[in-house]
Amino acid sequence: MCFTHNFWSLTIDGLNNGFLYALIALGYTLVYGVLQLINFAHSEVFMSGGFAGLFLTQWWVGSGTPGGAESIALVVCGTAVGAVTGGTVAFLLERVAYRPLRRRNAPRLAFLITAIGASFFLFSLAGKLFGRDAQGIPTLYGNGKLFSVFGGDVHLYDVIVAGSACAMLLVLDRLVARTKLGQGIRAVAQDAETASLMGVNIDRIISQTFVIGGLLGGAAGFLFGIANNVGYTMGFVPGLKAFTAAVLGGIGNIRGAMLGGIALGLVENWGVTCVRNSWRDVIAFAILVLILMFRPTGLLGERLGRSA
Amino acid sequence: MDRKFIVRAALPIALGAVALTACSGSSGSGSTGNNGGGGKKTYTIGFQGPLSGGNAALGINEKDGAQLAIDQANAKGDLPFKLQLKPADDQGSADGSPPAARSLIGDSNVIAVVGPSFSGASDAAGKLYSQANLLMVTPSATLPDLVNHGFTTFYRAVADDFAQGPPDADYLIKKAGAKKVFLIDDTTDYGKGLASAFKGELSKAGGKLAGSDSAPQTSTCIPGATGSTSQYPSEASKVKSSGADSVFYAGYYCDFALLAKALRNAGFKGQLMSGDGSDDSKYVQGAGAANANGTLLSCQCSDIASNPNGASFISAYKSAFHVDPGAYSAESFDVTNAVISVLKGLGSNPTRQAVVSAFASVNYQGLTKAITFGSDHNLKVQTAFLYKVVNGKITYVGDLSKLV
Repeated sequence: MCFTHNFWSLTIDGLNNGFLYALIALGYTLVYGVLQLINFAHSEVFMSGGFAGLFLTQWWVGSGTPGGAESIALVVCGTAVGAVTGGTVAFLLERVAYRPLRRRNAPRLAFLITAIGASFFLFSLAGKLFGRDAQGIPTLYGNGKLFSVFGGDVHLYDVIVAGSACAMLLVLDRLVARTKLGQGIRAVAQDAETASLMGVNIDRIISQTFVIGGLLGGAAGFLFGIANNVGYTMGFVPGLKAFTAAVLGGIGNIRGAMLGGIALGLVENWGVTCVRNSWRDVIAFAILVLILMFRPTGLLGERLGRSA
Repeated sequence: MDRKFIVRAALPIALGAVALTACSGSSGSGSTGNNGGGGKKTYTIGFQGPLSGGNAALGINEKDGAQLAIDQANAKGDLPFKLQLKPADDQGSADGSPPAARSLIGDSNVIAVVGPSFSGASDAAGKLYSQANLLMVTPSATLPDLVNHGFTTFYRAVADDFAQGPPDADYLIKKAGAKKVFLIDDTTDYGKGLASAFKGELSKAGGKLAGSDSAPQTSTCIPGATGSTSQYPSEASKVKSSGADSVFYAGYYCDFALLAKALRNAGFKGQLMSGDGSDDSKYVQGAGAANANGTLLSCQCSDIASNPNGASFISAYKSAFHVDPGAYSAESFDVTNAVISVLKGLGSNPTRQAVVSAFASVNYQGLTKAITFGSDHNLKVQTAFLYKVVNGKITYVGDLSKLV
């Protein structure tokens, strides 16, 4: 009874969360694909995008109430600035934290510790620079109800998130499947050594992979911040969830990350229709463990090279 | 060569000096305090509360209130010793509390502690302070059960949640016109306590419980908290489909802001209400003024700005810290002054034990209330006040007990 009662509105919220998870999850999966590295500092790339969007919109909106074309410009520019900041942070992260280790052929564990260290460094730095209180992104648009799906209301925010996420996912999918850059990424993912013998510049491909993941993560940071505020530790749980989504979909698999993110968002929300919200993660993760028991490599399997 | 020699020689000498000072500090055979050069000894009053993390605003308000009381006492100079404040940051969490408490207990100069600010942190530190015989007076931890845990040195200089939760329910139903209330707690000790105090009165007041839920604090607000921000939109769906016309949130301002935002985004137009944990202007900032307007907030903290005796406190606070006093600033000021009033009667060598026994019979008239305790270590007279967000500002409505 309680399940059917709320079903559609929870589905819409779940899809919304799922799209954001998918955007972040791609950052984990792309990097894993080329480096077999879990970039735990990716949650801070996400956070940096949130802060960039926050500062831009605070400066732009001031104390006014934007509407019409200005609202559209604000959302587009906020997302773009979030994305660029995320991309920049991810690029620097790769240069400063990972490339020196790669040059020295450091063991895999060293990368993991560096990733965690970079994560702590970045969020502590943000807390120091921007204050430790969560801050709200100013109201950018009137969040009216657009239409209903079987009684579940769809609001403007849902459409913004779903629309921009779908656009980005589509572009990424085509980019990896069709372009030379995508070919390079797939080549490095399949066999880095052979790829380099064939004339692929591995360093450049890895750098570009980080930037692509950072662009998506930073954009997600801003989109997330519109509804959920921005704080220096905001990346912690969304980062963990997105990492989970990436594993669920098959780590290293781009479409898997998209599917995994959306599946996790939905399962999370459906799980708590009848019980208290504090059970959210218990139910969601129990289901995920079950799925992984039967499909240990995730829903779509593991390899980036094969996916596209 | 010379330079190297100096460096080599200087290091052990410096280390030795540090060690000596440390030794002489601790070998004072029970006589705490050291000579501050000017003849008078210096004693320390500790403060424990959140000084970092998403709910730091309340802790900083209280720390500054305590600091002002100590500065004024030192300036007056009628104590036989000097006082200083030692803040310890517990981030407002139960996990952060024991280390903060140990850092104060371990400092033999500390003869009394103001705090902890939050209920969970107080619960986690109560045993440690009791074992160390160190007085702890909280200006703001309102969980009713805290006084029943056998903490011998714990005093609560604030009304508990029974002074807040039940009148909140009365007001929401009888005056604000709500009929069906959705009750959400944040799973902290404080949130659960306030929620159950509210729930107990709700049906007596003639209201209905449309539904209830527990939403853990999120990582956006509390470093390391595991609650997912994605829960608030689904919370809003639940509230809407329950047919509730109002929401009571038992928790702190940072997460309440996220909830309010999600509720309004989902088109929920009903009354929002919360307790003292949400009574901070950062709630309005986080939720956005348009979403926060109309929210009712109750607090055991009185409104210092409308207090006829508060003017000199406000101006002194402003000149010292360059901000207006916030929630619990004046309460912490009062508590610290109450502690100082007890220290006055203890001569020039107060011990922790003497402070604890003397504090039981303290009778101090502060700016906000009379601080005098019953045998249960609660205030003898308990009051709570109501506030409302109007045009993006938290404004004073009145004394809750007189409103309903």
